[in-house]
Amino acid sequence: MSGPNLNYNQNTEPVFLSKQEKRQVKKQEMIKSIKKNKLLYLMLVPGLIYFFIYKYIPMYGLIIAFKDYKPYLGILASDWVGLEHFIRLFQGTDFWIIFRNTLTLFGLQLVVFFPIPIILSLMLNEIRSNWYKRSVQTLIYIPHFMSWVVIVSISYVVLTLDGGIVNGLLEMMGFGPINFLMSSEWFHPMYIIQVIWREAGWGTIIFLAAISAVNIELYEAARMDGAGRLRQMWHITLPSIRSVIVVLLILKIGDVLELGFEHVYLLLNGSNREVGEIFDTYVYTAGLKQGQFSYATAVGFFKGIVGLILVMLANRLAKKFGEEGVY
Amino acid sequence: MKRIKLSKRLAVVGTVTLSSMILAACGGNNEGNTEANANADASNNSEVSTEELDDEPVTIEMMANLHTPETPGDFLKDKLEEKYNVELDIQWVPDGNYEERLNTAFATDTLPMVVPMGFDMFNQFKDPIRADQFWEIEPYLEEFENLSKLNPEILDNTRVDGKLYSLYQGRPLSRQGVIYRKDWADNLGIEEPTTTEEFMEMARAFTEDDPNGSGSDDTIGLTDRSDLVYGAFKTMSSWFGTPNNWGVVDGEVKPEFMFDEYIETMDFVKEMHSNGYMNQDFPVTSKDDQQAMFKNGGAGIYVGSMGDVLSIHTDATELNPDAEYGVFNYVEGPDGEYNVWAIPGFGSVVLFPKSAYEDENELRKVLAFYDKLMTPEGANLLVWGEEGRHYEMEGEGVNWIEDNLNEVDNDIRPFLSLEIGEPATSGRYEMASTYDVKAEADKLTIENEEYLVHDPTITLDSESHITYGDRLDQMMNDATHQYMLGQIDLDEFNATVEEWKSEGGEAIMAEFTESYQAQQ
Amino acid sequence: MLEDRSVSGRLFNVFNITLLGIIALLTILPFLHVVAASFTTSAELAARRFVLIPTVWSLDAYRYIFSTDTIMKAMGVSIFVTVAGTLWSMFMTTLMAYGLSRRDLLGRGKIQFLIIFTMLFNGGMIPTFLIVQQTGLMNSLAALIIPVSINAFNMIILRSFFQNVPTSLEESAKIDGCNDFGILFRIVLPISKPALATISLFYAVTYWNTYMHAILYISDSAKWPVQVLLRQIVVLASGLNYDGGEYTNIPPPEQTVKMATIVVATIPILIVYPFLQKYFAKGALLGSVKG
Repeated sequence: MSGPNLNYNQNTEPVFLSKQEKRQVKKQEMIKSIKKNKLLYLMLVPGLIYFFIYKYIPMYGLIIAFKDYKPYLGILASDWVGLEHFIRLFQGTDFWIIFRNTLTLFGLQLVVFFPIPIILSLMLNEIRSNWYKRSVQTLIYIPHFMSWVVIVSISYVVLTLDGGIVNGLLEMMGFGPINFLMSSEWFHPMYIIQVIWREAGWGTIIFLAAISAVNIELYEAARMDGAGRLRQMWHITLPSIRSVIVVLLILKIGDVLELGFEHVYLLLNGSNREVGEIFDTYVYTAGLKQGQFSYATAVGFFKGIVGLILVMLANRLAKKFGEEGVY
Repeated sequence: MKRIKLSKRLAVVGTVTLSSMILAACGGNNEGNTEANANADASNNSEVSTEELDDEPVTIEMMANLHTPETPGDFLKDKLEEKYNVELDIQWVPDGNYEERLNTAFATDTLPMVVPMGFDMFNQFKDPIRADQFWEIEPYLEEFENLSKLNPEILDNTRVDGKLYSLYQGRPLSRQGVIYRKDWADNLGIEEPTTTEEFMEMARAFTEDDPNGSGSDDTIGLTDRSDLVYGAFKTMSSWFGTPNNWGVVDGEVKPEFMFDEYIETMDFVKEMHSNGYMNQDFPVTSKDDQQAMFKNGGAGIYVGSMGDVLSIHTDATELNPDAEYGVFNYVEGPDGEYNVWAIPGFGSVVLFPKSAYEDENELRKVLAFYDKLMTPEGANLLVWGEEGRHYEMEGEGVNWIEDNLNEVDNDIRPFLSLEIGEPATSGRYEMASTYDVKAEADKLTIENEEYLVHDPTITLDSESHITYGDRLDQMMNDATHQYMLGQIDLDEFNATVEEWKSEGGEAIMAEFTESYQAQQ
Repeated sequence: MLEDRSVSGRLFNVFNITLLGIIALLTILPFLHVVAASFTTSAELAARRFVLIPTVWSLDAYRYIFSTDTIMKAMGVSIFVTVAGTLWSMFMTTLMAYGLSRRDLLGRGKIQFLIIFTMLFNGGMIPTFLIVQQTGLMNSLAALIIPVSINAFNMIILRSFFQNVPTSLEESAKIDGCNDFGILFRIVLPISKPALATISLFYAVTYWNTYMHAILYISDSAKWPVQVLLRQIVVLASGLNYDGGEYTNIPPPEQTVKMATIVVATIPILIVYPFLQKYFAKGALLGSVKG
């Protein structure tokens, strides 16, 4: 570089250089950081290969949502139909009812069910007697292993108008029989109670694991300050497991439209379908049962997009509050 | 390799000789039958001797629907392989996931040579059938003596555009009827009903007149379940003269619920329900719960498959040795006639995907195997197993050997899904009746054949029905239940019918009508 | 932890213990019904719909399901798949979760997003079937394991647990000359036992419950896990097949057999948890995790 030019370009060149410099610095930092963490990247390799092969390669199957898929023609040779399946979904008279029902069940899961395992694990955490604690833990974890078919059929036996125990008790206490199984009012309570019954104990496992990582010294310090049990719970235990709660919450929101096909399907009947039909049950009768893979895939695609939007929102919100989030 | 084959061949010859000896040993029983069997044996023998020289055993890959908890042991498979010079490669698929498995195999081009499917699946597969994905078998059938005995009327029910692609597994056309507590009826002095009014009266009396003499109000009349087809509803709708799924009026195909008789049936059930003559929760009752109510003496009438009386009787007498059952089928509707709906005469069909075959000779070999399964000997082996080991003769029929029931369950029962034809065409034995009410039920099943109402759409096509059918059926089933429970009135029911029409029903009617008129 | 001897503390204890006891009892009743129903006759079950203590005892259902060795063989398959699958998945998941737990890793946000994406979108049964076929797994037990090596949900959870390991520990290990593998295996894993136990349990249960993949990918029924058998019995006995058994002449299995199969197929996985519980004991850790 020559002297005069240097002066002449003083105003512009440094800016240009600094941009390049910035990029270069960034690049160098990147290379440095990658080099420094090469072992960490190595750790990611098996997982990345797995996700690529078994999750991303099959994604091409999603294009059948935009095709008139015929199995004997194959995915690629089937005709394109554009958004036809989506239009059929959105224009169906039931679309908004199903959308509303799905969100309602989702709300129940989130607001009613989600806190219960947390509360249960806090309660379990307060039990001093080890064998009692372990016994309760083991017992409440058992229902998770019973299939919905069995649970729903036991519910029928207990709740039926034709000699069910619950209606028998109600009658003894002077109340009229309640038609639990075939009413739109009782569908939601029945759904969420069965979910709680089956999953609450199972849900505590993860929180108990998180609680066991809480530093004991913190409790001792709190007790010195005269904090009672509830305050210890509120000020120490709960904040310590907050990050796990947030991560679970976001993942749960991503599951927004996975509300347990089999469970809901078994609970539905003519009298409660109006409030209970959700996307999964709808797509089963309207698509899968008849081998209409394209339509079923389109509905799944739609569910995925709704889930993705919600996860992204929830994740952004979590980050705003200083949490790690899921990505 | 060679040695194994040789020993296998020896085993084939040995088994054939052995089985003819066994058959000869029970000759006194039934002269004609033995002779027929002996003839079959003779022809088999000659077949084996020619085939064994120039034919490798043909490998048959097949899917089979598993209706039992466990997949079978090798006993029967080995027997069939030895006897008919085949290698069977059977992929058992649990019943509950059969459709998914079949669809996946189809979409991934991995269908085996033999693919069974039920009626609904078969309708979905009409599209690929028309696209020439499966062998048309009619040209070959006449080469096979036993396969050509298949019932032509039922074969017609399985045609696609007039062509035949499948072998069927036969089922009695209508087993529908009524099972009731005979001891209760006797206590109250009630005769078997022959009209819908008398039927209602029986349900009333069983509910209100203390049929079990317990002095308390602890019984109801009818026990029903959620299923509108195989439960009570459809059979009762036949009594009222409702068509079977679809009816034809002036050349136009209309759904059953557009007929007044359907509404009458709903009113009939509604009356029974509101009076407490039947279980209040029937739209959510499972078959098991429905039968439990009947077995434990809570209810006295069961409308459905009359053959169910056997298992019901077995459990019920364990609880109450005095329980007595009766069956009847004949119930006249208001028009003074008895009708009963029919199934198409087959339970499932088997198809032969072209992609699994090298040439038509392979198809011939597979058909030859099925031809042998249509002989009395082959069908008996497949369905009943080995005499003396799994079953024993009892009069004209056979019975399982009680002590070996586990072996029956393990070795034989699953193979029932491989059967082709029915006793009338294959000449196989039928179950002997040790329980006289079951014998009566079997008799009435045959009697039903004179009063059948067929579904006119069995051989008709409607693309819309395949696309929207299940969803629309559900809509009308829901409305039917709600009407019978008194949750909606007739206007609301009719509004649902209108909705049904606008969401694809109209198109289905038009397509069926067009298809119907084209066939006339 | 010290005992809390105040009045309110004691009241709290009594209340807490009683409430949990009631909850445990209510939760277990239906399962007790299943167990009781497996030890009685189908007639008794028809008479008394909800049985907690049978009046007629019978072992027939168990005799029936053990009359062939199918269920024991299927259990063997399930146990193998569960053990092998859990080990394999934990290996794969731990590596990835630890890699992603380090905040200084460039591109981790994008990678995690791509992983979350797979929870929401999947190509469906048929493309997945084809990839399983093309990777040569058909008809082998590996088909039940490899295609589900990493569960995105479990991986993200484990990553969150790893993130709570104080960085100070890792840094001091680094100063001592450990590389990233050393830190993971010597420092992070030993203090993450509760998390590892939890995620292992999640995997074990998932593998134990495998059944749809077995039906799709494994045609040799000798290699079916016990869930296929269980599912088949439950579906048959509940009459869930669409025609109510009308098209088959085969009687459905007895309700008692269904119950006995549920009991037999559930117990092995039930006893896993009590064995893992010691890893959840409070204070089992180095007492230095962020609060």
